[in-house]
Amino acid sequence: MASLRTTSRLFAASRPLFRPAAFARSYATVEATKNVDPIPSENPSMKTFKVYRWNPDTPSEKPTMESYQLDLKKTGPMMLDALIRIKNEIDPTLTFRRSCREGICGSCAMNIDGVNTLACLCRIPTDTASESRIYPLPHTYVVKDLVPDLTLFYKQYKSIKPYLQNDTPTADGLENRQSPEDRKKLDGLYECILCACCSTSCPSYWWNSEEYLGPAILLQSYRWLIDSRDEKTAERKAALDNSMSVYRCHTILNCTRTCPKGLNPGRAIAETKKILAA
Amino acid sequence: MFSQKVAQQSLRRLAVQQPNLMQSMVMRASPAAIALGNVQKRPVTSTSNTEDPTQILAKQRLNRPVAPHLSIYKPQIGWIGSSLHRISGVALSGTLYLWATAYLASPTLGWHLESASMVAAMGALPVAAKILLKATLALPFTYHCMNGLRHLTWDLGRALSNPAIIRSGWAVVGLSVTSAVALAFI
Amino acid sequence: MASFARSSLLRQSLATRSPFMRQNVGVSQAVAFHASARKQILPPQPQSIEGTMNDPVPVPSPSPMHGSYHWTFERAVAVGLIPLSIAPFAAGSLNPVMDAVLCTLLVAHSHIGFEAAIVDYFRPQRVPKTYSLCQWLLRAFTLTTAVGLYEFETNDVGVTEALRRIWNA
Repeated sequence: MASLRTTSRLFAASRPLFRPAAFARSYATVEATKNVDPIPSENPSMKTFKVYRWNPDTPSEKPTMESYQLDLKKTGPMMLDALIRIKNEIDPTLTFRRSCREGICGSCAMNIDGVNTLACLCRIPTDTASESRIYPLPHTYVVKDLVPDLTLFYKQYKSIKPYLQNDTPTADGLENRQSPEDRKKLDGLYECILCACCSTSCPSYWWNSEEYLGPAILLQSYRWLIDSRDEKTAERKAALDNSMSVYRCHTILNCTRTCPKGLNPGRAIAETKKILAA
Repeated sequence: MFSQKVAQQSLRRLAVQQPNLMQSMVMRASPAAIALGNVQKRPVTSTSNTEDPTQILAKQRLNRPVAPHLSIYKPQIGWIGSSLHRISGVALSGTLYLWATAYLASPTLGWHLESASMVAAMGALPVAAKILLKATLALPFTYHCMNGLRHLTWDLGRALSNPAIIRSGWAVVGLSVTSAVALAFI
Repeated sequence: MASFARSSLLRQSLATRSPFMRQNVGVSQAVAFHASARKQILPPQPQSIEGTMNDPVPVPSPSPMHGSYHWTFERAVAVGLIPLSIAPFAAGSLNPVMDAVLCTLLVAHSHIGFEAAIVDYFRPQRVPKTYSLCQWLLRAFTLTTAVGLYEFETNDVGVTEALRRIWNA
């Protein structure tokens, strides 16, 4: 396995050697670049993508911005299409997470043109004059290229006990039921896919992620706090009632602005504060 | 007869190769297993890597860079306005703190910070400087007050939709600048 | 084993030669990323994770004095400041009692605000010494400010009246 990996990396590192097409073009054009679309269409509309790169195998090297040029006419409409094309056709070493390509898994959360969003839900701006800049989620520890380490985020999620806590059996022994009105309160909360776009857009979370829970986790916490079937509301409130967990929120509302699913973590936190103060 | 011979042989072999191992094995393994040569041997040489495997990831984590944040995030009225709220608050409170502390220390330091001397100093300034000074004092004050009202509205759980946030943010900017200019020309 | 050694050897030799290859290819496309190079904004510590990834982060013990009560008090002070900041514009200045109330609320509001900023940027878990230094400095300054304002209120014309006179000077 180890030898396999090294050989594949060897191939990647020496890739330009084995790509005579790109090699030839570098002499043919004035602005010689290796990262250009290898098969552009007739009359191409080329757009530059600048992508954050960092390789854990060479940890002493600083992160860099690498630019790639793609023909938008041969690329799908979304940023994820562009990234997949770069990886498939230009640079196989580019690393990012992706799965569902339809905004339900939350894997491809990243910072595109300065705003956190899901690459699969973000249209490529058709203006080819300006370049698009793609970074990992802000102020996360980078595993490689666009892959952030979300371990702490998931550990924080676990700490709010994101499950129904109810030890009382129902009268008829069937499932816990709630009224349509109570169920309606969960709308706009249960849709959260934990992509971490909102948490990593929050300056408070940037500075205090160790102690402050961040918008995504607080939205989830609120979702269980107001669930009519949950019996541990008092414990949930007590767990939040300290200076760091909730109250590092200063209503900057980057979370609400950036949520790719159109949810409102800022409102959830404001309501949490009201519940705690009551 | 045959089985007895096999058992004897294997025991002898074991005793020659690893006397210590045999002792411990006889204690633990069943006689049948020893007899049939089924004893698992784990020579020390099989684990050449002495590194604690739980530490590999921990070491990698120490090398990781932090993704860029403040410098690359798109300037938006929400967080820029919020940072201005804090900056204006710190500027106003800082002025109050410095002035009040200086006033307390003025008798010993021989400074004149009484209202009469400050009024005199202000009166001695040319008109343009007066207006400029008033505007620099008034703008953080009006901005902080009006954005403070916006914050208190949010704390009631109101006006938290995206369009409302953007609209109120620009409204605060407009209102605070106009009122600061008005105050400067009083 | 042999193949493994060979490949890593090859890789090393390639790695040393790679700058050459880059030059051949043309303009290097990789640009050093500047924001992380020299000056970092509030630099975080190297990443370390307590416990395994399946352990939740520890939940702090409840302390409403620093949580919900503190938040409610903060809002009450801010709400109280609204009429007291509008009134001087209507009346010219405040009477000494209202002026004293305004000063008290201002000092409380300022202290809470500074404290929030200190915890945000120099939280005790990251830089404990800087944090306690800042906290003690803040307490000292709040005290001198409060005493200074008391002196000004008792020996001078009061804050709102002084501001009115300076503004009209």
